[in-house]
Amino acid sequence: MPTNLNFEMARSLVGFTVLLLFLSICESASFFQPISDSHRSAAVELFSPDHGSFKSLEETYEALRTFDVLGIEKKPDVTATACRLVSETVGSSSSTLKDLFYALKANSIVKCKINDKAYQGIITRLNAAVDGASSLPDFYYSVGGLLLVKGSKGDVHLADADGIFRSVKAFRQSDGRWRFSSNSPESSAFAAGIALETLAGVVSLASPELDQSLISTLNSDISKLFDSIEKYDDGALYFDDKLVDGHDHQGPLATTSSVVRGLTAFAAVTDERLNIPSNKILGLANFFLGIGVPGDAKDLFNQIDSLACLESNRVSIPLILSLPSTVLSVTKEDSLQVNVNTVLGSNAPPLTVKLVGVFTSGSKAASLVESQELVFDDGTGMYNLNNLPKSIDVGSYTFVFEIVLHEPEHEKIYVTGGQKKVPIFASGLIKIENAEIAVLDSDLGSIETQKKLDLAGQNAVSLSANHLQKLRVSFKLTTPHGLAFKPHQALLKLRHESKVEHIFVVGNSGKQFEIVLNFLGLVEKFFYLSGRYDIELAVGDAVMENSLLRAIGHIELDLPEPPEKATRPRPQPVDPYSRYGPKAEITHIFRAPEKRPPKELSLAFLGLTFLPLLGFLIGLLRLGVNLKNFPSNTVPATFATLFHVSIGAVLSLYVLFWLKLDLFQTLKLLGFLGVILVLVGHRVLSHLAATSAKLKSA
Amino acid sequence: MGKLWLICIASISILLPFLCNAFSPETPTDRRVLVLLDDFAIMSSHSLYFNALKSRGFDLEFKLADDPKIALQRYGQYLYDALILFCPSVERFGGSIDVAAIVNFVDSGHDLIVAADVNASDLIREVGTECGVDFDEDPSAMVIDHIGYAVSGTEGDHTLIASDDFIKSDVILGGKKIEAPILFRGIGHAVSPANSLVLKVLSASPSAYSANPKSKLSTPPPLTGSAISLVSIVQARNNARLLITGSLSMFSNRFFRSGVQKAGSQIKHEKSGNEQFLTEISKWIFHERGHLKAVNVKHHRVGETDEPALYRINDELEYAVEIYEWSGTSWEPYVANDVQLQFYMMSPYVLKTLSSDKKGLYSTSFKVPDVYGVFQFKVEHQKLGYTSLSLSKQIPVRPYRHNEYERFIPAAYPYYGAAFSMMAGFFIFSFAHLYSK
Repeated sequence: MPTNLNFEMARSLVGFTVLLLFLSICESASFFQPISDSHRSAAVELFSPDHGSFKSLEETYEALRTFDVLGIEKKPDVTATACRLVSETVGSSSSTLKDLFYALKANSIVKCKINDKAYQGIITRLNAAVDGASSLPDFYYSVGGLLLVKGSKGDVHLADADGIFRSVKAFRQSDGRWRFSSNSPESSAFAAGIALETLAGVVSLASPELDQSLISTLNSDISKLFDSIEKYDDGALYFDDKLVDGHDHQGPLATTSSVVRGLTAFAAVTDERLNIPSNKILGLANFFLGIGVPGDAKDLFNQIDSLACLESNRVSIPLILSLPSTVLSVTKEDSLQVNVNTVLGSNAPPLTVKLVGVFTSGSKAASLVESQELVFDDGTGMYNLNNLPKSIDVGSYTFVFEIVLHEPEHEKIYVTGGQKKVPIFASGLIKIENAEIAVLDSDLGSIETQKKLDLAGQNAVSLSANHLQKLRVSFKLTTPHGLAFKPHQALLKLRHESKVEHIFVVGNSGKQFEIVLNFLGLVEKFFYLSGRYDIELAVGDAVMENSLLRAIGHIELDLPEPPEKATRPRPQPVDPYSRYGPKAEITHIFRAPEKRPPKELSLAFLGLTFLPLLGFLIGLLRLGVNLKNFPSNTVPATFATLFHVSIGAVLSLYVLFWLKLDLFQTLKLLGFLGVILVLVGHRVLSHLAATSAKLKSA
Repeated sequence: MGKLWLICIASISILLPFLCNAFSPETPTDRRVLVLLDDFAIMSSHSLYFNALKSRGFDLEFKLADDPKIALQRYGQYLYDALILFCPSVERFGGSIDVAAIVNFVDSGHDLIVAADVNASDLIREVGTECGVDFDEDPSAMVIDHIGYAVSGTEGDHTLIASDDFIKSDVILGGKKIEAPILFRGIGHAVSPANSLVLKVLSASPSAYSANPKSKLSTPPPLTGSAISLVSIVQARNNARLLITGSLSMFSNRFFRSGVQKAGSQIKHEKSGNEQFLTEISKWIFHERGHLKAVNVKHHRVGETDEPALYRINDELEYAVEIYEWSGTSWEPYVANDVQLQFYMMSPYVLKTLSSDKKGLYSTSFKVPDVYGVFQFKVEHQKLGYTSLSLSKQIPVRPYRHNEYERFIPAAYPYYGAAFSMMAGFFIFSFAHLYSK
């Protein structure tokens, strides 16, 4: 069963830090910078208490410790809340051992007022805990607690230091790693760190002093532990527990940090010198510095706390050589500045920085300069080389430095890591001369048109050529020292109106750069696209301070018509802005209504249509029409009346049909009226016929 | 103890379908995000970005990309709403994840963030290709810019680029202008011109090119100038959103916190624009912006309220639709002045911009064309960065019925008059003919 310590720390798997990837980010800056202001601002940001207090005592301690090491002024309310928490925990008998431990740790920084009675209670509790401890964390908290009480009260001793030492040592494994408890099968470097810190505590609490032979047996354990150290390509060293079960895996940062804490604590109490190569300590320091600024509070604490341990350890104190700037301008005559600090950025002992050699990157040629010492500047605390050596022209170099300590006894205290290679870019203004653009006739090579270019300013050359001609662009590049310069980027770009681009690398011979485009050979590549081509020239390099991208002008190309099988250029990307956006509105155009005469005209013609009727009526009157033949007898008269009423009804039906009735209604009614009409019509007409027959016969 | 487990499993299995759907108007937010890493150290070195996501309520689950236990779905249900691939060097995913699984994940409407880097593995390049972008094929190529680089005392090879060529879209990058340039170090990619779904969000400057900074350039670089995309986004047709970038370090705490000064510029920014840029763009990716929904489509004749089954030619009609945008917490009215309605049969007969009341209601009125047939009301709203709205509603339009034409035409009065005078004449004639002596 893993202990509560394990569970708590496993809470954040965040411990996993630094990795190949991160190092690849810093690849170009493979030297390490000491702790800087960015750590301070990150610390303030990361350790921001919620409503004035941190989540736990452990976090409170981590925040206080980080602020303390970085020299950040503690806010009064943080101190006050921390003190309140501490006195609550210390005063209560129900607080856990771990909380008590962290309360005492926090107290060692903020120095709260704790009365003697409370101390007495703590000492009794911790002593009881030491006696009853069965696992490594129990020992760690109780012994650590007692040590902290001793720090503030003074008169604390472990009665049976020897026995405790042995029982802690029982967790040791043969490979230098330790176990958390006797029944846990896994051993880890993380536990080793804790064990060393605990044992260091036991040693300093022991009264009378412990047997030195007992202590010295640990020395070989530490050496074994350091055999399992792992390494990054850039020289950073770290510890990592490769556990199959990721449950209580701490990650390289937490593990390395634990080992460093244990190691430095142990080195502080032992009389004899620990047998650890000082370069390993430097490698560990590089590991912590290589992380940069962690984004997690726990990681930041581990980093800062470990660096603080390394800053004043008794094994060897790493010194870090760093350069504020690795890009130096030859033109501006920048001076080479080198900083040598401890890991936390404080001043190093008196020493000399030597520039051992300068090598061109990627070549194995001999050093360009002789070994020389850098001048120490008291004002800035930096080592300067005021003028770059004359042999340094623009380019990228590897500078090799060496630190020489003045005092021979410092050699034992400090570790400098021997020679240090630093990549340096020496940049400068490149002189561009004789820039020309010309159109040549193909067969003779004679110049048809030639224009001078001013690559520092604006150009608007306007040329024209056909497929039998050539285009030549040439210029000359010289470094400040008058040597040939070969930029990484020397590209000529021709862009057709349809945005089809063609890019050519401009080659050189010595200082002279020239490209000749023979259009006859390029027609196919140009997709037979005639028309205007914009010309752009890009010359740039990492060490060229005046890298440029210039639109030179344009050339009108007259290329032959494409054959049928010619390849078409790839479609060019469409501007995303034009692809979207509202479309033009569309309104429907309605059919125009038919042309009609004015209403007045229709009415006039309506009047005219009644004229014939009028004429008919007048005609009838003039003819003297009468109704003398109307039957006089009642029966025929009735039939005659009915006949005419029926005709009138049929005619009215027609009017109704026109006004509102549909065909079916009309036919129905018409059928009915028709029958009546035929019947009465037959009677009337036969009556009239009979009457007229009578008249004739009479 | 056992009982508790049972309850736990039961409640999870009940909740699972609700937790793990893609963005939809009903469950309009991504919650569960799987983050695949090359190394757990990225959790720490990129923690600012992750914390920004966590603080917005996302539940990030970190896994190593080659963890044999990872899976995107179980029993046909997706376990996550979004996937973040921060594993540029992974050669093969662990578990059941492969490129096809990722493509299916996106095809079912889930979101994806891919960060490649120098020496990106073929697998990550393939994911990029599936997303519609092509990374530079040279494995050691980086984007180099000798004019638009970020000034730095310790980085002299001009591969750390300060780019400020953003896409002009408030919905993607937020309303607040990004003042500081973006720090970028990584590989460039090109977006396929044939793919209209991919958008370059951050382009390289015209002087940039993609090449191996350590070797001599002998052939023209495959990618140059503004054609190089540093960060691209994809909005798939199913509204899944993707972010593809060639730099993992641009998400890192170091770049988030780093100051930036673009070469040739005197302005030194205290902080790079990376944090603002990537946070804003993640809001877009996770549908906190630019996701539209249209509801309450209504149309009726002017003066009526009920929706008719069909319209007659020349009817005056009113059309209204409500459009809302998801803000991350609620649906807010969408305000725009370019939502357009089409009255469509084979081609649009009417295309009209809807007027907005600024509270999400868009409406217009128009006269039905004098062409009959089966029409559609179509709202095809496609705007840069917004989800595309595509509404269509079929509606038949009929011609006039025979009795709906004009009844008494003045121009025909003479004909009417002629007929009736004829009839009157006939009536009188019948008397005159029969009874006159």
